[in-house]
Amino acid sequence: MESIFVRYRNVFVLLAVLLAQIIGLAMQVRRTGEGRGSLDAGDGSGVRLIRLWAQALVSPPERLIHSTSLGSEHLWQNYIDLRNVRQQNADLQKTIDRLRLEQASLLEDAKQGQRLQGLLNFQEKYIYQTVAAQAIGSSGSEQSRVFYIDKGSSSGIARDNAVITAEGIVGKVREVFPTSAQVLAINDQTSGAGVILATTRTRGILRGNANGQTEIVDILADNRIQKGEVVLTAGGDQIFPRGLPVGVVDRVVNDPERDSFIDVMVTPAAHLERLDEVLVITSTQPRFSDQQQKDIATSQEQKGAEAAANLKQELEQKKASDIMAERLPGLIDPNLPPDQQPLHDTSNPTQVAHPPKALHPDRFSPQADGGPAAPSVQDGQAAPAAEQNASPNQTRPDQATPVQAKPDQPKPGQAKAAQAGKPAHPATGPSKPAKQASKPQTPQSKPERNP
Amino acid sequence: MPLLGADLRRDLEIRRYPVLVYALVPLAALVLQAWLPRVLGRFAFFDLPLVITVYFALGRRSPIQGTLMGACMGLFEDALSHHAIGVNGVAKTVAGFLAASVGVRVDVENTTIRLVLNFLLSLASSGLVVFVSRYMLGLDLEWSWYTVLFTAVGNSLIALVVFPMLDRLQIHD
Repeated sequence: MESIFVRYRNVFVLLAVLLAQIIGLAMQVRRTGEGRGSLDAGDGSGVRLIRLWAQALVSPPERLIHSTSLGSEHLWQNYIDLRNVRQQNADLQKTIDRLRLEQASLLEDAKQGQRLQGLLNFQEKYIYQTVAAQAIGSSGSEQSRVFYIDKGSSSGIARDNAVITAEGIVGKVREVFPTSAQVLAINDQTSGAGVILATTRTRGILRGNANGQTEIVDILADNRIQKGEVVLTAGGDQIFPRGLPVGVVDRVVNDPERDSFIDVMVTPAAHLERLDEVLVITSTQPRFSDQQQKDIATSQEQKGAEAAANLKQELEQKKASDIMAERLPGLIDPNLPPDQQPLHDTSNPTQVAHPPKALHPDRFSPQADGGPAAPSVQDGQAAPAAEQNASPNQTRPDQATPVQAKPDQPKPGQAKAAQAGKPAHPATGPSKPAKQASKPQTPQSKPERNP
Repeated sequence: MPLLGADLRRDLEIRRYPVLVYALVPLAALVLQAWLPRVLGRFAFFDLPLVITVYFALGRRSPIQGTLMGACMGLFEDALSHHAIGVNGVAKTVAGFLAASVGVRVDVENTTIRLVLNFLLSLASSGLVVFVSRYMLGLDLEWSWYTVLFTAVGNSLIALVVFPMLDRLQIHD
């Protein structure tokens, strides 16, 4: 037995080491619902400890190399290679003067914009605080496009902070150590950033492929997308603020797995392969200064006063309209409750047009078809109620439909009955016909206004 | 008696290095592997930890030492990445074991053998990484043939330069 272990000890050691690593891998990977493997977004405590040790071992030499190269570059640029510096200085001074003037005007606009956004409770994310950091190293693996920066949690950097340069977005902070942080670049296969094409307004997810190129995936075929179109962050991923430059479209290729989808290859705006200094966005929440807070409060007060003035003006206008409505006949009946006003009656939106009643009816008058002639009345005189109730159209119960029961002109008797809550005629309903009866009012239906 | 003779010859051919070399050379390989891609950009087609693993495995001619060396280097690489720790560890463990096993039987001083061994072991290591990631762990990992091929070529070329330099560090009796 002993001889077997001695003879095959190399193989046994190999198997033991492999088994230990496979068990460790199995503890780190979990199965998704689709049967695929997935790594947790955050490392476990044990894994994180190993990464911390590895980073602590590699980081000091990397910092040394980085600082040495920076020092050499600094020495060369600031003490040796100084040709044309005076001319460049003069040009830059002119540029500074010009930019100062531009900045002064832009500052006013920015302050006003912040005030307005604060007033409107604007939820858009903007960059309010950044930390500058140096890229000091990478993972060294083609399959893991991460790099390390020389700032960590002690500088206020946290997980999922966006990392950018002046040219465009770079990635997000994946792991934070006390004095360093691991940044997942946007050209890694596991990265993802919500982006939008500036011209076609097409949204998609930006990620990296095996060759380290960035591409937008999950886009339906669209022939409007052309080379050179600008790609911006969409702001929906809760990491990158909206509107940051991402890159430009390089080419469009068909998705090899899905026919109706395309992959948009993007040339990143930031130089991902040779990063030096980056900015970590540590805060996107609006932070106003004291003066800005006062300005916002003042603006809110002014806005409140303006709203009150508008309300008062609306009330006055409403009052005026009420007065006008009262003076107009037939729109408002002061004897009816507000919910039964004829103005609100929509039971019969298409009113039947009736010809005006003739003051001196003859055989050609509408009511002259065999009926008794209307009594002669004078202008402004109300017709006798008894005679109008004697009209056959209004007295025969078998013909008493609501429309037919609606008189062309209300009679004083009907108005009184409606006021008393009683029907003016047995053929009419208790309240509705009375309400309808008051609809086509004329000055004659208001005896109190008659001279 | 023939077996004893073979062991004696093998013991005589085992290379020995100062302890600092065992500590600093792998560390330097890891640091350079992490730093050089920043300088070289997308042209960083090499795997220095693998080259160093193969060198010490060939020189020591001990499969156990090759296995442990490969495991340490691979785990260290994994720790610097954002992938699961152990993927490169498994690959380089096997590579170290194979290099040491082959080193017992071949002349490791031959330049052609060094070139071919590095090329083949690089391909094997990359293949194992893909196998473990995609088939054992089920991760959605894309990979490109030309990157694997260029890395193997790069490792072979680096080995041609680095191996003679490291040979100078060995202890001569």
